[in-house]
Amino acid sequence: MSITAPLVNDASPGGQPGDEPSGIIDRVYGFLRGIPTGILWFIVVIWSIPTLGLFVNSFRNRDGQRGSGWWNVSPSELTFDNYDQIFGARSGLLRSLLNSAAIAIPATIIPIAIAAFAAYGFAWIDFKGRKGLFIATVSLLAIPLQVALIPLLQMFVGGAKYTVPLLDKTITIVPDFDLAGTTTAVWLTHTGFAMPFAIFLLHNYISSLPKDLFEAARIDGANHFTIFWRLVLPLSIPVLAAFAIFQFLWTWNDYLIANTMIGANASQQPTTILIANLAGDFGRNEHVLPAAGFVQAFVPLVVFFALQRYFVRGILAGSVKG
Amino acid sequence: MTKRWLKLAAVPIALAFVAAACGSDDESGGGDTTPASEAPAATDAPDDGGDAGGGGDFDGATVTITGPERDDPSIASLNDVLGEFGEANNINIEYTGDADWEANINTQVQGGNPPNISYFPQPGKLADFARAGNLKPVTDQVNETLDEFWLDGFQLYGNVDGTQYGVPAKTDLKSLVWYQPAAFAAAGYEVPTTFAEFTALIDTMAAADGPKPLCVGIESGQATGWTYTDWVEEMVLRLHGPEVYDGWVDNSIPFDDERIQEAMQAPVDLWTEDNVFAAAGSIAATSFADNGQPLVDGQCYMHRQANFFAGLFPEGTTFADPADDSAVDVFYFPDINGDKPVLTAGIFAAAFDEDPATMAVMNYIATAEYAEKRQAAQTEAVGGGLSGYLSAAIGQDPSVYQPLEQSFLSILESAEIARFDGSDLMPADVGAGTFWSEGTSLVNGDIDVSEAASRIQASWPG
Repeated sequence: MSITAPLVNDASPGGQPGDEPSGIIDRVYGFLRGIPTGILWFIVVIWSIPTLGLFVNSFRNRDGQRGSGWWNVSPSELTFDNYDQIFGARSGLLRSLLNSAAIAIPATIIPIAIAAFAAYGFAWIDFKGRKGLFIATVSLLAIPLQVALIPLLQMFVGGAKYTVPLLDKTITIVPDFDLAGTTTAVWLTHTGFAMPFAIFLLHNYISSLPKDLFEAARIDGANHFTIFWRLVLPLSIPVLAAFAIFQFLWTWNDYLIANTMIGANASQQPTTILIANLAGDFGRNEHVLPAAGFVQAFVPLVVFFALQRYFVRGILAGSVKG
Repeated sequence: MTKRWLKLAAVPIALAFVAAACGSDDESGGGDTTPASEAPAATDAPDDGGDAGGGGDFDGATVTITGPERDDPSIASLNDVLGEFGEANNINIEYTGDADWEANINTQVQGGNPPNISYFPQPGKLADFARAGNLKPVTDQVNETLDEFWLDGFQLYGNVDGTQYGVPAKTDLKSLVWYQPAAFAAAGYEVPTTFAEFTALIDTMAAADGPKPLCVGIESGQATGWTYTDWVEEMVLRLHGPEVYDGWVDNSIPFDDERIQEAMQAPVDLWTEDNVFAAAGSIAATSFADNGQPLVDGQCYMHRQANFFAGLFPEGTTFADPADDSAVDVFYFPDINGDKPVLTAGIFAAAFDEDPATMAVMNYIATAEYAEKRQAAQTEAVGGGLSGYLSAAIGQDPSVYQPLEQSFLSILESAEIARFDGSDLMPADVGAGTFWSEGTSLVNGDIDVSEAASRIQASWPG
């Protein structure tokens, strides 16, 4: 213990009676300091148990899963049958994974691109009504996306047309792109609903960048676009990565929007919908769900671990001014 | 200032164009998703009835079909059967089994994005959509095919206010009791032929120190309680006959009528602690699907459930095989008044548009060939056991059905009084709502029968 306090060198262990009090204090201090870590580890273990159980069960057959809890597992009953079954020819799991990617990737990149521009504008371009517009944008966070789903779907199905009452003239507000039942409809929806939060998060970060930087750049003759491209974007990498992780996880794991927009079109279904249907009538195939869940979770795990060092930095985004 | 605004506006507009371009890319790449109504209409609608392989050509029109069936064997057989028909007629048929079909079909219809055809397990729902003008009546040609292959009694539930919308695609027989003949023989029990014998047998079994007489479990996720409603339907039919049953279904005889309450109380009286084995401890907590294992394991003697329960027995169970002591068989759920009523259920296909390709598929679903091929494919998919599929279409080759399944069909065909599952005919708020939930409370003992009946009656719409 006393090694941690090299400055009090004369308190090194040696059995001298005078050292005892400080040795005890050190020990108590060390013990107390270990408590938070211990609690954290405890929480981590508790939090991981369900996932561990799911993981173990994904290697057990139906009778095993139904017959006893996952902690009763014996090594001899472990099998890859469930994985074989979900990757089987009929399940279409690979196609659905590609569909999930076709939704999650555009739905992550496009909101970031738009929101970064918007956040810069709100933070550093002085225009009339800036504050009001920003408040309006952010307050859209309060709108539950569920209420907008069916009107949006109707728009994707037939476009939006408005007939001017007296003139008897029809104006096409949104043309009929025939998007219903495609992954495009899904990521367009995700893009729209991600915008308020993306702008809010990015704005908080970008507006906290030091003003001196911008003034210096101005003096050097940089216009808004150069400042954004050469200065703001590189400095904002942590928050962009953090938002990318959030948005990717949310769109990859989304069921509701995909289910509404894709409807009956089996060829465009993402993995979440496929998994929901895997269980079969009356849960007859429930035993493949843990395996399917792990396949579905694998991609976000890769994304998370690849970007996690940004995640920790970015989660502080905007919380500390300085 | 104006210039800057223009620049700002340019970004989203440019992005919108990109999005639109990507949209059309996706579409050509990821399978044809245009609704069939926009596909080029076939010029030569086939006139050869529903013969698969009869060469209609629909220019690769896409027909999407949804339905609640999503089992591996069901999906495999449906894809086989429909795929074969589609190939022969150049129609691209996609079937999606949907875990949440009941809710999703509403969203799809409201959003204007329904499938071309959907399989309806509840004629009540089909009628709702038909009355709202979302479904299209079948063409005369499909009607002729229906008359050729289906008895009026089975067509009836696809008919809404005199117009035919639904085509029967699957038939279920509910009035069955599953049991192990070997277990009966070992204990010296006889298969009961009247309801009095049935209850007497239950009492004998309960008094003997062996397996419980009945396996009962009514848990089924969101649909918990439907097994109870089946029992009530059986009891209404048995106690009071088909006229009362019909009146009850259209609510001219309300739930709180004494006769209906008597039928609601009857299963509860049978399901005493001495009589019932419930694997999960209580009846309401036991999944109805988990009643197969205890029956095979000899924890109970009997289980009343429809023919499709064959698929829920543990793997390797044999059916109606005298050589095998663990084989499972069925007997007819006995009647009270000697009129042998039968409770049925089924699935109906109905179309959301009148496209020639859609109607050609509907026509095919109405044929005996569809039923026969699906049965053959599904039997193969489950590895040769009981497929869980059944169709009462006339003119099928009986050899595709196993002897036990043939006996189901002969019960269906010979029944003079056959009534469709009442809860599926009632408005969804009741038949798929309060009847289930209040029924479950009644089984749990939380409320008594008059309370349950008046609550269900109060929820009847209109």
